[in-house]
Amino acid sequence: MSNTSFTGSPTRFRSATEESAAARLVMIVFAFVGLTILVFAPLVAVFVVALADGVVASLKSLATRDARDAIRLTLTIAAISVPLNAIFGVAAAWFITKFDFRGKAFLITLIDLPFSVSLVVAGLCIVLMFGTNSFVGGWLVANGYPIVFALPGIILATMFVTFPFVARELIPVMIEQGRAEEEAALTLGASGWRVFFTVTLPNIRWALLYGVLLCNARAMGEFGAVAVVSGKIRGQTATMPTTIEMLYQEYLSVAAFSLAAVLAMLALVTLLLKTALEIRHADQLATTRRA
Amino acid sequence: MHIEIGEISKQFGTTAALLPVSLAIPSGALVALLGPSGSGKTTLLRILGGLEFPTAGRVLFDGADATNLTVQERRAGFVFQSYALFRHMTVFDNIAYGLNARPRAQRPPRDEMARRVTKLLELIQLPDIGARYPSQLSGGQRQRVALARALAIEPRMLLLDEPFGALDAKVRKELRQGLRDIHDTTGLTTVFVTHDQDEAMELADLVVVMSMGKIEQVGKPADIRARPATPFVREFIGV
Amino acid sequence: MGRPFIHRSSMPGLGLSMGITLTMLSLIVLLPIGALLLKGANYGLAGMWETVNRERVWTALFLSFRLSLFAAVFNLVFGVLLAWVLVRYQFWGRRILDAAVDLPFALPTAVAGISLTALYAPRGFFGQMAAEIGWKIAYTQWGIFIALVFVGLPFVTRTVQPVIEEIEREVEEASATLGASRLYTLRHVIWPMLTPAALTGFALALARAVGEYGSVIFIAGNIPLVTEIAPLLIIIQLEEFNYDAAAAIGIAMLLISFAMLLVINLIQVWSRRRIGYV
Repeated sequence: MSNTSFTGSPTRFRSATEESAAARLVMIVFAFVGLTILVFAPLVAVFVVALADGVVASLKSLATRDARDAIRLTLTIAAISVPLNAIFGVAAAWFITKFDFRGKAFLITLIDLPFSVSLVVAGLCIVLMFGTNSFVGGWLVANGYPIVFALPGIILATMFVTFPFVARELIPVMIEQGRAEEEAALTLGASGWRVFFTVTLPNIRWALLYGVLLCNARAMGEFGAVAVVSGKIRGQTATMPTTIEMLYQEYLSVAAFSLAAVLAMLALVTLLLKTALEIRHADQLATTRRA
Repeated sequence: MHIEIGEISKQFGTTAALLPVSLAIPSGALVALLGPSGSGKTTLLRILGGLEFPTAGRVLFDGADATNLTVQERRAGFVFQSYALFRHMTVFDNIAYGLNARPRAQRPPRDEMARRVTKLLELIQLPDIGARYPSQLSGGQRQRVALARALAIEPRMLLLDEPFGALDAKVRKELRQGLRDIHDTTGLTTVFVTHDQDEAMELADLVVVMSMGKIEQVGKPADIRARPATPFVREFIGV
Repeated sequence: MGRPFIHRSSMPGLGLSMGITLTMLSLIVLLPIGALLLKGANYGLAGMWETVNRERVWTALFLSFRLSLFAAVFNLVFGVLLAWVLVRYQFWGRRILDAAVDLPFALPTAVAGISLTALYAPRGFFGQMAAEIGWKIAYTQWGIFIALVFVGLPFVTRTVQPVIEEIEREVEEASATLGASRLYTLRHVIWPMLTPAALTGFALALARAVGEYGSVIFIAGNIPLVTEIAPLLIIIQLEEFNYDAAAAIGIAMLLISFAMLLVINLIQVWSRRRIGYV
């Protein structure tokens, strides 16, 4: 056999672990079309309807009293409930990962519980607990602290639905990091708080930010539970999402969609920051590290 | 089966994993591809198995061009370093997998399949583990199941990538003999990759020493020991 | 002697972290859920049954569950496909698609609700197209289905993606060397590996859809016995200050949620037993 017969370049075959080019193309097209119809189209529609009468009309609708009150209320709710949930998340993650106790798995299940309860049922629970005709609620109202149909109720409902976000992100990260660094700091004579701020917090800061980001997006956009407890009183307990509903039902579609566009932009910024965190700090997040 | 490798080279991007190499493997031989990591030995094995395709060159099986045969068409029994057993299947189903994957017309009937699997389990001297899952086996048992699975398709050759790499020293010694016995029973042309020169020298009829994408020397173990062809071979086998 | 309830530890902050955790958990989650159950207990089983056992309630519960099931099945198929494409293929726009999967999590439900309605209403972009072939989407069960597909979209993809990333290439190669076609490998090797994660994602999507309110009510039309979902019934009862009835329906939905939570856990136990870890 002559040497020249070996020099011909063999046909390129696909690797044993790949689908055919045609199958790949079909699946990629499916993914694009599916997500375009299901996700991109609704997103674009928000802005298209919001700007149907021009930018000026849209901005004017955001400057109305209803819209401004709603934005202010939503910001207030987020400003109160997100830090509280962040504190809870850190405390719960510390308790669960730094100590050994019985019923730990059960505790984690309880913390995750709000994820599997319907938002409307969550709101209902708050109403039944603190409503005027309940024991606790009745007493509070009689003493001048109404909960339901007032700011505290909305905050409780918001905290209920966003309850697991921070804890669930922190727990896996802190389990993986173990206790050795904290123990080292303790043997060097650091106080508990000092250990937390100089050792633990720097290790979990990106995971904490990630959890807070998701918690905040959910807090500002929460509708189901808040719709139940807020009473939707204009200027007092109407949040951005409930105001969107009211405007929409009054056929003020530009106003409703303009407010919706503000929330959609918040969602986009959240996704952008989240993706940036996932790319830059993937090694310090629970979500991206499972692989 | 007689295997002939002609001027095979392989590029991964800009790096050359294999410079053009040629090698003839006689039918029924037990051959070791020996070399340090990065020497191209695994790439060569994967090209034989049809898992990689060469950038240039030809592979001939019994004189017929096999370069463009797909991995399925090659019928090479391949044993992976990690064994790659299917974790969700019992040992029995793992071994029968290749038979079940055949088109209906070529699939043996159920009792024939069971008979063959039982025979293979006896061949690897683990007759009673058919109902177990891979996670319930020891490392050495897994290796033998992977071997039985590769043999079940009645392969034309047996290719093994570091078959003893993941085992401890004692089990390693036992399984070396096991592979030798299976080779002698089946008479299959067998190529295995190793970085352990003792293993290559003790087990193989023919040793192929590789380094940096090149074949340094091909020969019987005794010949290589007696007359290392290059300084690299001398150093690597430590004579 | 049994194990101590809490092991001694050199770590500081036991009292503080345990205090914050248990107090907030009780105040925000456990006591309110307890209040719901207490309300139900006071109302009595017979009373609750009487409330739930009405045609309008059964129809709404059944409708919510049935459409959620359809949406979850759709998301199971599309979600697995999406996860596969996002992990295995390199193509222009992959990162954008990957980020887009999370949009239903990030976009407030009320925003999604009015937006989907605008698209699928008879004069909307998709609604018009559908109307030409005589297909009405918004204000019918189709509209509810689409809204539920939207909210459940991320679950299957996000649970399956990490599993696909973990599959060893060698296992797929082994299947090929044994003569299996790519399709046979996908069906008999890859799919069984993805099944537990896919089912978990399916159950999560289902649980979410059954309780979904915000994105559905705008597009549903809310016609009693036709397009009225179970969560809306609770709101209607509350608006009429009929707390007992609201609690009864709420408990029924809570039971459905718990049942699904149990199913998810069973799937995970089953898969751990079956596949095991080396």
